[in-house]
Amino acid sequence: MARSARFSVFSRGQLAVLALLAATPLLDLAFPSLQLSAPMRTVIVYAIVALGLNIVVGWTGLLNLGMAAFMAIGAYAFGILTSEIYPFQVGFWWGILLAALIGAFAGWLLGAPTLRLRGDYLAIVTLGFGEIVQDGLKNLPAITKGTEGINPLPAPTLLMTELSGETPARWFFVYLAILAAVIFLCRNLEFSRLGRQWFAVREDELAARCMAIEPDKAKLKAFATGAALAAMAGGLYASLLSSTGEPSTYDFQVSILALCIVIVGGIGSITGVLVGAIVMVGLNNVLLPLATQSLQRAGIGSTGNVLSSPDNYKYLLFGLALVLMMRFRPDGLVHSRKAVRR
Amino acid sequence: MTEASLISVRGVTMRFGGLTAVKDVSVEVPRGAITAVIGPNGAGKTTLFNAITGVYEPTEGSVLVSGRDPRRQLTPSVVAGTVLTGIATALFLAALVRIEAHWTAAVLDLHEYQKPFPWGKSAGAFLSSLFGGGLAGTVLPLVVGFALGVAGRLVIWSRTRRTPDVVAGSGVARTFQNIRLFPELSLVENVTVGMDRRLRTGFLPALLALPSALAERGSARAEALKLLEFVGLADKSEEAAGNLPYGHQRRLEIARALASRPDVILLDEPAAGMNPTETVDLMRLIRAIRDQGTTVVLIEHHMRVVMGISDRIHVLQYGEKIAEGTPAEIRSNPRCIEAYLGKEELG
Repeated sequence: MARSARFSVFSRGQLAVLALLAATPLLDLAFPSLQLSAPMRTVIVYAIVALGLNIVVGWTGLLNLGMAAFMAIGAYAFGILTSEIYPFQVGFWWGILLAALIGAFAGWLLGAPTLRLRGDYLAIVTLGFGEIVQDGLKNLPAITKGTEGINPLPAPTLLMTELSGETPARWFFVYLAILAAVIFLCRNLEFSRLGRQWFAVREDELAARCMAIEPDKAKLKAFATGAALAAMAGGLYASLLSSTGEPSTYDFQVSILALCIVIVGGIGSITGVLVGAIVMVGLNNVLLPLATQSLQRAGIGSTGNVLSSPDNYKYLLFGLALVLMMRFRPDGLVHSRKAVRR
Repeated sequence: MTEASLISVRGVTMRFGGLTAVKDVSVEVPRGAITAVIGPNGAGKTTLFNAITGVYEPTEGSVLVSGRDPRRQLTPSVVAGTVLTGIATALFLAALVRIEAHWTAAVLDLHEYQKPFPWGKSAGAFLSSLFGGGLAGTVLPLVVGFALGVAGRLVIWSRTRRTPDVVAGSGVARTFQNIRLFPELSLVENVTVGMDRRLRTGFLPALLALPSALAERGSARAEALKLLEFVGLADKSEEAAGNLPYGHQRRLEIARALASRPDVILLDEPAAGMNPTETVDLMRLIRAIRDQGTTVVLIEHHMRVVMGISDRIHVLQYGEKIAEGTPAEIRSNPRCIEAYLGKEELG
């Protein structure tokens, strides 16, 4: 169906992807050795980052190379707000919510003075911001514990009981529910007045201005919303690790991975971004480690030989995936607005 | 004269480096009429439109809309916003430069020993740390932050005083000579974007799809469909604008401009690239727009269109206005004939 003709909570494609994700714990039941639920939580975390980036890059047309910085801000905000070493201890759910709000504030702070820059210049600012945040976190040990990271951090609570690593399926479903909520919110924005402003600014900024739209305001909202989602994902990631990790966990490669997810999946399409996250992060965090494990079990991959470990080929595969996508499907695996391009 | 004028262009000159594209042009656009601006290619017609709509800032002269300059004024709220931005930036910078010291005073020093955590004491410790940094630790960041915030806000304000969105907000809509639709959006969405000035949905209602947001979305869509019907494109409402044939794209641009319910609509060569049938339809459409009460200004080369529908015509040549009058007057004006056909060679 064409965009905006009718409105439902989820599109068919989004429902299909959510159903697919919901089936992974079943796989665990069938093949207990796989243990997919645990690494699939990471897929969901990156899907949320990429949904945030999709608002900025896909819908508003701004290149943001610093999503990892907002993820780091979210992770550390979650860490500081929930860790036992600090007095706040707000718990998982408030921690996630506040991390998202703090992320939005950070995005707004970065965006307000810089969003008037055009194209590549904005990309450079976001790139620099990513490095500054990493260095800042590293050099504020009194607050962030430097390279140790803040830990331990709480797992999600469900019906007053805290989940643990022993029940990865439940934990996975909590994250999946959060992802579903995020998709719902993104979809609301996509079809709203604000979504239209974003698309208009992306397609033709001058024409949008002549329709009395203020591009600066629309861009700032997109930037802050994207940052909020990245920060929320950062909080979920920290909860999953039970630690904020060290600041370099959120380096440039994370920002690039988020961008790859959006581009490979289908820029501008929520379903596409979800598929992209499953493909890219699934490859990175599920398939490659699994392949390495099984090779080792079969006695082929000796630990000494770097070439025989599939894990070491991941950047080669990412690069290859990008090149192939650009050559054969520049719009991504899932086209945005199929109906419109018909 | 001024009272009845919806737009009055007063002595506008537009210079780009050494080139003077428009020179001391004055045009009064009477309310409720169709005014045409004609002239050979390069006469400065589109530049004049751009100066009116805020794409360019006139080098000299002024443009009034309904007797007022559509420009962001230095209102009390702008001043208050600027001062607040300054204070916020100052506090943010002061907090940031010595954040570890503040954290140690407000959290670490108290937390190690005291349970439950003394929030009031912590806030006090934070404030005394924030303002107790002496000249380098507190005063300098406060001063620099305030200056940065105020200067940044004022620079942005001064640069966006008369941008196209400000002018459009005062009821001036336009189309473009080289069509500027949103090609990947559907027809209905293109028109709805034009309606934006009249929509009120804010961020949170949109995010949560509150009933108010959904209601506005529904009514905006219905209105957009009605406008598409008005310009004769209702059957294609869900197609991508970029896939439309040229003549239809021009109509869609008009619908999008009308969607803001403007007081005046500026049409830049609406008949360009249209075949004779489409042109006749267009003339009917432009008359219908005027009959609805919307003032029309158009740039056009098709003399049949111009002479057929204009109430008043202004002629530009080499950036200067050489004539003004009713179609009949212009048709018999020797300077206009000369501008279009050249001078008769004698002897």
